[in-house]
Amino acid sequence: MDVTSKTSEVPEEPAAAVTEKVWKAGRLEPMPIRKLPDAPPSLHILGPTVFLVALGVGMGESYMWPRLVLVFGPDIRWLFMVGVTLQAFVLLEMARYAMATGESIFFGAARIFKPLMWFFYAAAILIYMWPGHLSAGAAAFEEISGIPWQVTACVALVFVGVLFSLLSVIYNFLEKLLGLLIGLLVVGTSVIAALVGNWDDLGRTLSGMFAIGYFPDKAMTSAWFPIVVGSIAFAGPSGMQQMWYTLQLRDSGAGMGAHIPKIRGLRTEGEAESMPSRGFMFDTEDPAEMAKWKGWRKWVTFDALLLFWGITMLVTISFTVLAMSAARENPNVASLIEGGDRSAALKAMSDAFASAGSPILGTLFFAFIALIGLNATLGLFDSFSRGQADMTYYFVPGAKRFSMSRLYAGFLWGVILFGILILLFGPADGPAGILDILAFLSTFAMGAYCIVLLLTNNLLLPKKIRPGPVRNVIIGFGAVFYLGMLFYCLIRFGVAVG
Amino acid sequence: MLVGAAAGLIAGGLGAFVGQPIGWAVVTGLGLAVPLMVFGAGYAVLVALGKVPAGVFAPAAVYWVIAFPLALLMHAAVTAWVITGTPSLPPEPWKFLAFRALVSMGFAIGFLWMHEQIGRFWWPRIIGHNPYARRVVEQYTHLAAALQSRKAARKPTRSL
Repeated sequence: MDVTSKTSEVPEEPAAAVTEKVWKAGRLEPMPIRKLPDAPPSLHILGPTVFLVALGVGMGESYMWPRLVLVFGPDIRWLFMVGVTLQAFVLLEMARYAMATGESIFFGAARIFKPLMWFFYAAAILIYMWPGHLSAGAAAFEEISGIPWQVTACVALVFVGVLFSLLSVIYNFLEKLLGLLIGLLVVGTSVIAALVGNWDDLGRTLSGMFAIGYFPDKAMTSAWFPIVVGSIAFAGPSGMQQMWYTLQLRDSGAGMGAHIPKIRGLRTEGEAESMPSRGFMFDTEDPAEMAKWKGWRKWVTFDALLLFWGITMLVTISFTVLAMSAARENPNVASLIEGGDRSAALKAMSDAFASAGSPILGTLFFAFIALIGLNATLGLFDSFSRGQADMTYYFVPGAKRFSMSRLYAGFLWGVILFGILILLFGPADGPAGILDILAFLSTFAMGAYCIVLLLTNNLLLPKKIRPGPVRNVIIGFGAVFYLGMLFYCLIRFGVAVG
Repeated sequence: MLVGAAAGLIAGGLGAFVGQPIGWAVVTGLGLAVPLMVFGAGYAVLVALGKVPAGVFAPAAVYWVIAFPLALLMHAAVTAWVITGTPSLPPEPWKFLAFRALVSMGFAIGFLWMHEQIGRFWWPRIIGHNPYARRVVEQYTHLAAALQSRKAARKPTRSL
């Protein structure tokens, strides 16, 4: 935060203290200056954004937005456009801090004000310990296979735990697996949309993305406004998924993350390198280093625009085209969706798809929902454990005597065991009474991370790599957007997001 | 070529109509899978000949904006032939093609994605006799070299 402090000393490294250059950021330990590695070519679409796509393309894209389109018409989609575009900018700004320092955004939050980080620590546990995504995917699988969803969900939970514990380097495997699953999803939805949709459906879907300002009176009612707000918040990665992305960037070795060891599975944790006590900074006064930094920004921008924005938009366009096609074939689907619960609405959409072409289309609809559930489960469990392990390791006194791998495994198996207990003996989505609080916390976390981003990127990074005014305005708008809608919803209608 | 075929098979499998008799399902499924396999292989050949850069979205999008609607047009013709006994074009063929051309953007991203994901396991195996595979693997070697330099840069941090 202070350029002149770059030549100050690192107290705990006496051997290098005389010559070590550091970057002082916030109230915690300064970051030693290290070399920024070369950026990879941005041509090849392989990168950590695969996690965000896996997490982001969830129920919001496949169910919530098609449902809104069926109820309010395709013009409501301009709000989705705003939500996803905003999330793309958030992704780029999250990446700015993570790639410049090798630290997660949680660490950045602690550098600003530690209670901020503890808020995210507690919110993550409250929001993500409930196995809701998994149960939704398992329920869709039950429609196809007839296997009770509790059985599939419990088996999947244990499978995920054993798998992540046995892997050598968890990140590498997950990137490959999620990459294949998402590829299957994108190719599959495109082909199905091409088979059952038509020009008019797509035309209305696309024009609806630019119908800026359209907001029907019905959407302002207490029944629908919270759902609209929730859908906007859940356009793309919601809750804390963007914050976890900074950990995946670090583990993929992006930018200064190259200086931080990767998290290993329990089986090979002994081979793990020791974890440094904070991140690093590169010399922003060196033109060669700045040239490499520009390479990294180009790389992550390519990821953000093509992979994240493009794929999220395409999958949701495909699902919306499918939903409109379904409504054309089965006009009752909209009223079923308005009146029914989630499973009834999903069944109605599946039936409508089947009537639009053949029974396989209805089955495929559930197969895609199951695939989305699996993607989200793999991504969420890994991300949750990664995020909590990171914060525990660095900020819980005495936690450093455990390795990062053990902390990761502890949180992973903790969430798995809790999930199994809930699946067998309780409501999978969490007690109904606290669902509103969880939805509120999720959206509140999104507004809060926009504020954290503004603070970390403008106060903790060297001037040369800080965001420009336009990006700051966009992220500031994000904070007002999420928090404003949330509190308006709460004050006007007395309910949290739906 | 294998990647193009794999993408075609996945898409063809998804397009197979199980609601129809098994013979019809196979024929209509192949009606989509075969054109997609051929076009996928065609794309791989263009990349192998150096006409199209590997892993770049724009050329793949341009290629599939033409190939994808044509593949679905062939599928529609085959389906009509299986059901009515006579191959025929869908009503309003230009609108049919235009819609599929727009949807092809999604397919292009998915195809390119799968091409990269599967290819990186396959290309090193055929590097001896396939210049395209060699060129792509060289690109990845450059990436690996960058990763190696990062690993080397990480060493001084071990004592921290």
